[in-house]
Amino acid sequence: MAELVIDVQNVSTTLGGRSIHRDLSLSVARGEVIALIGGSGTGKSVLMREIIGLLKPQAGRIELFGQSVWDSTSEQMNTLRRRFGVLFQDGALFSSLTVEDNVATPLFEHTDLPHATCRQLARLKLALAGLPPDTAGKRPSELSGGMRKRVALARALALDPELLFLDEPTSGLDPISARAFDKLIRLLADSLGLTVFLVTHDLDTLFSIIDRVIVLSDGQVLGSGTLAELKHIDDPWLRDYFAARASEGETVHGN
Amino acid sequence: MREASAHFDEAQGALIASGVWHAEAASALPNVSGKTVRILDGAGVAELDTNGAWLLLTAARPRASDPMPELRAFQPQHLAMLNLVAQHAAATAAQTGPHREGMLELIGRSTLVVWANVVGLLGFVGQLFLELMTLLGHPGRWRWREFGTQLGSIFVGAIPIVAGMLFLLGVVFAYLLGDQALQFGANIFVVDGILLAVMREVSPVIVAVLVAGRTGAAITAQIGTMKVTDEIDAITTLGLSPLAVLVIPRMLALLIAMPLLVFIGDIAGVVGGMLVAQEQLDISYSIFRDRMVDVLELTTLLVGLCKAPVFAVFIALIACRMGLSVTRDARSVGANTTSTVVQSLVAIIVLNAMFAVTFVKLGI
Repeated sequence: MAELVIDVQNVSTTLGGRSIHRDLSLSVARGEVIALIGGSGTGKSVLMREIIGLLKPQAGRIELFGQSVWDSTSEQMNTLRRRFGVLFQDGALFSSLTVEDNVATPLFEHTDLPHATCRQLARLKLALAGLPPDTAGKRPSELSGGMRKRVALARALALDPELLFLDEPTSGLDPISARAFDKLIRLLADSLGLTVFLVTHDLDTLFSIIDRVIVLSDGQVLGSGTLAELKHIDDPWLRDYFAARASEGETVHGN
Repeated sequence: MREASAHFDEAQGALIASGVWHAEAASALPNVSGKTVRILDGAGVAELDTNGAWLLLTAARPRASDPMPELRAFQPQHLAMLNLVAQHAAATAAQTGPHREGMLELIGRSTLVVWANVVGLLGFVGQLFLELMTLLGHPGRWRWREFGTQLGSIFVGAIPIVAGMLFLLGVVFAYLLGDQALQFGANIFVVDGILLAVMREVSPVIVAVLVAGRTGAAITAQIGTMKVTDEIDAITTLGLSPLAVLVIPRMLALLIAMPLLVFIGDIAGVVGGMLVAQEQLDISYSIFRDRMVDVLELTTLLVGLCKAPVFAVFIALIACRMGLSVTRDARSVGANTTSTVVQSLVAIIVLNAMFAVTFVKLGI
């Protein structure tokens, strides 16, 4: 098996007296595009926050690139942070900066390149994310939701990370923009050799760009594999989940 | 991992790169300005990301319109990366930097902002008046609960700070005044001085300044944040008027709270003065009280109290309008909150001066 990029072992989490994860383990190999799915409240976003070092689990071990996230010094953690990018659910762009400066911020902070070069690299990332050049000077508040997501993606890519975390990348986008965004992620993953870990509710994303799906249920990993493999798992939530897709397809045919 | 390095081969016109090419590799680039790079050689490149690819490409052809150099001996995935970056390289062409404003432009722009604020305030007063007229016709639409909440935080919450501040100011006033009066043996007139100063000027102005900083800023920040999170739009969509729901209850609460706070301030200031008079000037509490009954006219108290509602209306108008004119970013919430405090303070000082002149002309 290829090198493990994410390795989560026996993680348990309790938030506000409620058990979220019980002895949960999963791993992601280099180059994989992985989707994490599960019903609302199964702790998908919590797990992602734990992996990127924002929330400490009560027990267990989390490793990124073979280095433990929660046993690292803050300096080691900062080096680690340069190797992954995060796209937050609603973009989390800095509203007081221009789009260009938003994307250039990681470069300003983590490299000693001249600021002019950082801005040029930021514009390259914006172009890679499929945004027209005139977006660069605008403010996040002047952009549509889809464009904000693209800017956030460009910012996540600023330092050319090896690993990309996406929290519901297509939520709030219309189906056409959502599919275009999916294609973009796949294109970038293939051409830049990224490992992508995404949390999603979007079935179309799963069917189009994902290598492997990990299903969370009841605080543990219910199953992991391609969509075809998952259909063999006998679980009421998973059955309903895929049934939603099937009935949706029928309605379309009916029309 | 190998350090990034690159050198220029004059004979071939080739830029030969090797090692790990990430964003940090920029310092390894040789100076090739004025020379034509015909070949980009990547035989020794171990790793290449988009930042590294862009650095190499830009060194080889400074303008995206220049001919593409021959890419030699790159590994296939690095070649794909270079081609991907080359496709988008035109978009990274340096654009003109942000426009710098001269002094004259700055003055002009600031004047326009001040003018827009004045016009905006007048427009807001008009809207508010119409809304009030509508509300008078429909008494059921008054938001009493919101009014109560606001009164609680604006009035009750401010009592300790108002009482404390005015008490200390009373102490300071009595002390300084007493020091002078003592030299002339005119101790008793300290009572007259304290009453006049505290009730007529100090209490109304200081309370207004406190309320502008405390409540005015809070109102702008609160309404502004609601604007950022679309709550104002949600209120409008529910068929409610943001003015009736948010602005009028706050304005009414301020209108009622301010005179009460000024009165509390009056008492605290006089008590502070009494204490110092007793300690410093041998004016006992009973003498102080007798003198107060003799010299205090009702108009002195009323002049101070009648300023309060005027200050209140202006603070509420400014704070609510600045809150509603927040645009959709975090910086403008901060900027508008600052602006509220500044505008309120200016309004208080100007209004107070107008009151002083008017009262003198009227002989009050």
